[in-house]
Amino acid sequence: MIEHSLGEFEELVLLVVAANHTKAYGVLILENLEEKLNKKVNISAIHVALKRMENKGFVISKFGGITKERGGRRKKFYNITALGKKVLDHQYALRTSIYKQIPEISFG
Amino acid sequence: MISRTSYNPENPDPDKLKEQDIIPPKRALRFLRWFCREDYIEEIEGDLTELFENQHEENPKKANRKFTWNVIKYFRPEFIKSFTSNYSSNHSAMFRHNFIISFRNFKRYKMSFFINLIGLSTGLACALLIIFWVLDELSVDTFHKNDSQLYQVMVNYADKQGIHTLEGTPGILARTFVDELPEVEGSASVVPNPDRKLEGIISCGNNYTKAEYRFVSKDFFKMFTYKLIQGDKDRVLINKSSIAISKDIALNLFNTAENAVGKFVEWEGDRCNGQFQITGVFQTPPSNSTIQFDVLFTYDLFLEISPEFQTLTGPTGPVTYILLQKNTDVSRFNGSIFNFMKSKYENSKLSLFVRPYSDRYLYNEYKNGMRIGGRIVYVRLFSVIAIFILSIACINFMNLSTANASRRLKEIGIKKAIGASRTEIALQYLGESILITMLSVLLSVLVVALFLPQFNTITGKQLTPNVNLFLIISVLSITVLTGLLAGSYPAFYLSGFRPVSIFKGGGIINKTKNSVGAHLVRRGLVVFQFTISIILIVSVSVLYQQMSFIHLKNLGFDRDHVITFSAEGKVKESIGAFLWGMNNIPGIISTSYMNGNFTGQHGTVYNADWEGKNPDQKVEIGYLGVGYDLFETLGMEIKEGRSFSREFGSESSNAIFNESAIKSMGLIIPVGQTIKILGQKKQIIGVVKDFHFESLYTSVKPIYFTFEPTANNILVKIKRRTEKETLALLEGVYKKYNNGLFLDFRFLDQDYEAQYASEKRVAELSKYFAGIAILISCLGLFGLAAFTAERRTKEIGIRKILGAGVFGIVRMLSGDFTKMVLTAIIIALPISYIIAKNWLDDFAYRIDLEWWFFIGAGFMALLIAWFTVGIQTIKAARVNPVDCLRDE
Repeated sequence: MIEHSLGEFEELVLLVVAANHTKAYGVLILENLEEKLNKKVNISAIHVALKRMENKGFVISKFGGITKERGGRRKKFYNITALGKKVLDHQYALRTSIYKQIPEISFG
Repeated sequence: MISRTSYNPENPDPDKLKEQDIIPPKRALRFLRWFCREDYIEEIEGDLTELFENQHEENPKKANRKFTWNVIKYFRPEFIKSFTSNYSSNHSAMFRHNFIISFRNFKRYKMSFFINLIGLSTGLACALLIIFWVLDELSVDTFHKNDSQLYQVMVNYADKQGIHTLEGTPGILARTFVDELPEVEGSASVVPNPDRKLEGIISCGNNYTKAEYRFVSKDFFKMFTYKLIQGDKDRVLINKSSIAISKDIALNLFNTAENAVGKFVEWEGDRCNGQFQITGVFQTPPSNSTIQFDVLFTYDLFLEISPEFQTLTGPTGPVTYILLQKNTDVSRFNGSIFNFMKSKYENSKLSLFVRPYSDRYLYNEYKNGMRIGGRIVYVRLFSVIAIFILSIACINFMNLSTANASRRLKEIGIKKAIGASRTEIALQYLGESILITMLSVLLSVLVVALFLPQFNTITGKQLTPNVNLFLIISVLSITVLTGLLAGSYPAFYLSGFRPVSIFKGGGIINKTKNSVGAHLVRRGLVVFQFTISIILIVSVSVLYQQMSFIHLKNLGFDRDHVITFSAEGKVKESIGAFLWGMNNIPGIISTSYMNGNFTGQHGTVYNADWEGKNPDQKVEIGYLGVGYDLFETLGMEIKEGRSFSREFGSESSNAIFNESAIKSMGLIIPVGQTIKILGQKKQIIGVVKDFHFESLYTSVKPIYFTFEPTANNILVKIKRRTEKETLALLEGVYKKYNNGLFLDFRFLDQDYEAQYASEKRVAELSKYFAGIAILISCLGLFGLAAFTAERRTKEIGIRKILGAGVFGIVRMLSGDFTKMVLTAIIIALPISYIIAKNWLDDFAYRIDLEWWFFIGAGFMALLIAWFTVGIQTIKAARVNPVDCLRDE
């Protein structure tokens, strides 16, 4: 599954999208990430990651309804696809399996 | 009309976000919308706005900053839309479409089209002719290779009346300059000829020809780029017995221009005679050279003939040209030569300065030592006239296009509704105006080709339409510029319509704010057109009045039916017998001669002495050597004493003064007084009534006449209406003396009028240009009137039904135009008064500016405008109401 590459930041964004299923959009992802990572994240970086993943087929997007906020602009909600989930699972499995090979090291 | 549709939800304009409390920075938002991909913009803008709103609650300023910063961060390849159009395949189709639409409109609205075409092509033709003329004027004397280094030394001479700037310098100034000033690389002296030609006869064997000659110093051909066909540049003018001749003269004498060098020719002229050896043959100077000559003698020969010019302190006369080193600081050089003459001799009243050689044609007038222009004034004047005429033509296009906007309204509305942007509509209209300008240029080139010979006659030039790259580029750029100028306003105006208001209003745009503005602009432009036209009319009529005033002014002598020609060859040798022979011709009333002429070529003395003279008194008196019967021939009145006469024996010690000379000397009983003048004692035998011998730019100056037995210019008074026979007989007498030469005579009034040649040309040209300006203005008015009449047909119909008469309707329709023309008159008259007054100030004898010049011009403009508008309005007013009302 080498062709389905997933960068570190992309992975984080994808995780947030998956965690907030059907409710994830730019600002929400931003706030979530900032909270979890405890540092400032730029919104444009998130949009870049989202667009890339959408191109790779990891997420799909659709517009929500019009609200009074946001200057009347609709939200664009992102959902994880089956492929996206698979890649996440694969990544998780890969990391866990390697992690398990770590011998008991003491840094006493 | 498929187009990049910009993203356009309910709130399209950043300006419209005002209803909300919190608005993101407008400029950043606009920037984002400009560059961002259309499929991303909503999401990105929404997210940014949401972030902004959140942050705004805490810290509005920071939120603004943050928003802008975020927008900038989006400016990266992933988000920037493709600016290289995706629709390029459409361009040629759109171009073709616009082209077809333009042509259909031309065909459909023939009158507007022809008014535009005629107006623009006439305007362009005028502009082209003026450009030809201006370029030719500017090219005069610039063909010399050393042009940037060539300078002329000028002399300022100060007296009580102010500073006089003269071209004549001391005779050996050129040589002294080269010897003493390191900046001067070379120099040349040229003996000038103020008004008349310096002419003589050159002969070889039995071949004669008349030739204009100059004395020039030896470096002449090194300084100036007159091409030497034969002979050596360095050695042409070294020997006093050398002569250089033009190719034309060589062809005349030897039938070939080759092998002329080394041959001997005979020369007969008023300054020198004898045998000369040809040392060079040069190409005849081009017509844009201010110095014209057929034959050149050495300057050394001139100094030998006129030894008084051999010093720095002597009289001034020859013109000095110098070649300055490259990169010489001219103002510093001027400073260093200012006191050059004083350093040579204490009492000198002359100060020197240099001016670029190529400036001497265009900037030839000085007043009180300051350059005040000269011919450049006319160059500027006509450039301005060209611009005015062209802009009048452009205004027609603007007015007709905007007035007729309603015709194109639906087209614009539909295009915009489909998605055309404002830029595209504007470009379409600009294209249309450039298209019509191109058609006009083609037409105007034809017009120019047709009228160039007449234009040459009026301007006295030999302009030929030689097609070169510069000309093509300038014509093309004029086309594009005119097209842009004419099309800019209509394009801006028409493309600004909003489709919604077009369709909602059902095509009626009268009430929208936009069209009220356009109406005002249109009126302003018409006022401008008429202002210019009226100024031109007033100027031309003042010009004409002044010129005819000069023609009719009693000069104190009768110049009608007097011919003049120069005494040459055997005529000069046996002048007495020749005059006697002429007097036997029945048509000749009297004959005389003078050495020089009235219009400039006469000497001036500054030191006259007489009994009872105040030693401090300085007088400046002109003098002229004349023959018997001069005053009778010219019909001048002798106020006291007598004129020169054969009955009184020798007249050589007698003189006749004019009234102003007597007055300036302060003599009470002039006749019989003895005056010491030019080292000779002369007795005053008569006083002649003042007459204008110089131009009317100046007042009458003192002058005196002495009798001289030799003649230069012969004057012959001929009986009215016998000119033809008398001249034939005269020619016969002349041939007896100078066989092979033809009698080259001029009427005296030609001489006189030559002084006003440039004014006459300006008057003649501006007459045509004023006519054209008013014509083009009226064309535009005609179009506007037609449009108004057409638009108001229904109103006219209803008014007629209700009982309005034809006259009332005509008055109603032309009232608006009358107001515009009246405004133009009010603006134009003061301006033209100032212009006319300034121009007349140059003349010592001038007409008074009468009020009726101005009222007349204004009235004329009004009449022409009424006539133009009247044609349309009367037609409209006579319409049968049934015809215009039955549609609805």
